This record gives sequence, C-alpha cells and structure tokens, in this order.
Amino acid sequence: MFIINCPYCGEREQSEFKAGGEAHIIRPKQPTELSDDQWAEYLFMRKNIKGIQFERWVHTHGCRKWFNVVRDTSNDDIKAIYKMGEKPPII
Amino acid sequence: MLNYTNVITEEKSFSGLQMKEIRPVMKLIIRGKKREFLSAVGKSLNLLLPNEANTSSRSENLTAIWLSPDEWMIYSNVTIDSKNNDYETENLLNKSISKKNLGAVTDVTDQFVMINMKGDKIFDLFETGSPFNFNDFRNKKGSVTQTILAKIDVIIHNQNQNEVNLFVRRSFSQHLFSWMNDSASRL
Ligand SMILES: [Zn+2]
Repeated sequence: MFIINCPYCGEREQSEFKAGGEAHIIRPKQPTELSDDQWAEYLFMRKNIKGIQFERWVHTHGCRKWFNVVRDTSNDDIKAIYKMGEKPPII
Repeated sequence: MLNYTNVITEEKSFSGLQMKEIRPVMKLIIRGKKREFLSAVGKSLNLLLPNEANTSSRSENLTAIWLSPDEWMIYSNVTIDSKNNDYETENLLNKSISKKNLGAVTDVTDQFVMINMKGDKIFDLFETGSPFNFNDFRNKKGSVTQTILAKIDVIIHNQNQNEVNLFVRRSFSQHLFSWMNDSASRL
C-alpha cells in the first residue's frame, strides 16, 4: 500500500488507482511493414525492471484521468509524477 | 424521474448519525474544456463552475461539484417534481452547450441516488470503509471527493458542518445503505 499524488486530485491511497503498464511505448507508424516478431515486440514485450520504471497509472475511483509515474519497483518509492503528454523527467 | 421501486425506503437514525435518501433531486453531469464552455455554463445558470480540485460552488437553486478538470456534477438544492422528466436546467444547458458543440450534458438524475447524512459521527463511519483522508475535508465546507466506500465508488459533498450528501450509483445503493447501517450500529 502506498500513496500516489494524483496530478489533478492530490494525494490518494493506491487502491483508488490502477496501473496501466510501461509508459512511453510508441506505436509503430507503419504496422503493415513489420514482421510478426517486430509486432509482437511492440505488443507484448515489456521491460519489467527491478528498480526505476516509467509507468502509466489511472485514477479509476477518482477523476478517471491517466498520468505517468516514475516508480522504484523494488520499494514502491515514487520518484516523479507528470501528466500525459509532458516530457519524462531525467532520473 | 423515472418510475421505479425505490430500494432505500426508510430514514435511519443512530446516535450522532441520521441517514436518508433525498429524492427526486435533479443531477446532471457536464463535460467540457474550452473557456467558452465555462462562461456559457456560468451565464446560463448564473453559477460559476469551481475550477479548483475537490471543491464546489452553489447558487440559490443549484450546486456544482468538481469531479475532474473537465467534468462537473450539477444538482438541485431542493427536490423536483417527481412526475416530470424535463428539467429547465438541462434544457438551458442543452441550448447553450450541446447545441453549440462546447461540451456534453448528461442527465444522471436516475442513475445516482443521493443520501443525506447528518451528525457528528459521519466521518467515523466513513473511516471504517474508505481509504480517503477526511481530516482536512471535514473542516472545509463545500469540499468534494470521489473515492471508495466499502469498495463502492461514491461522490461525497461536505455541504455543511456535520452534514454531507453522498452520491452512489443506483444499482449499488441498497448494498451500500445496508452496509452503512450495519457499520453505524457498531460505531
Ligand atoms: Zn485524480
């Protein structure tokens, strides 16, 4: 259990949120030109780092907005939170 | 208001806590981002939408509560005619918002049940089933939150000292009300 500071509502408990997986995965511009392996790479393969990870979260039971979280997956320490479309901080 | 069987049929009273459904109360969800949207709502209802998170604003007849940066709920301060499904406020907003493509207006009168709670034990009850920190909330008149109570999504509006309005989806209302009664009896 940990607290997440929603960029819109402020500090809320984790159970109000849902994790949406790794952030900043760019959809290929021409999917038709990709091999099956490349497409699978885009679709399924995630880093799943032990340590600092850039993730998407959504405040499901609050404002229902998506945003980005930089979290240390080994101890749930949140390093940064920023809105969708904003540049990821250098950490 | 539609014609249906109400699930919350009685007022419940405990020491330091009274709870009852208030109906029918008109409720609308409005969504929009543009500045023209905000000013059009303000002009047609004579009510400024709160733009600060977790707050509300109030006119003589209506209350507007902040739900998200582009979403508000507007509800009537008094009960409305139960035989009518046509709300003047909605018509005004349809004309000034929907027809001009400035945003969206949705009637949620029948979707949400409004439970009025009074007494000094309100927040003791919430603390038994919600992850939200009510410490600042309870002392700030007009504050609003969307959170979870007994695993159910709720909207809570701190209307007055020791008085809140709680909104819950109709399909969850019976379960939530019976949970609240059970929990209140153990406070
Ligand atoms: Zn939020």
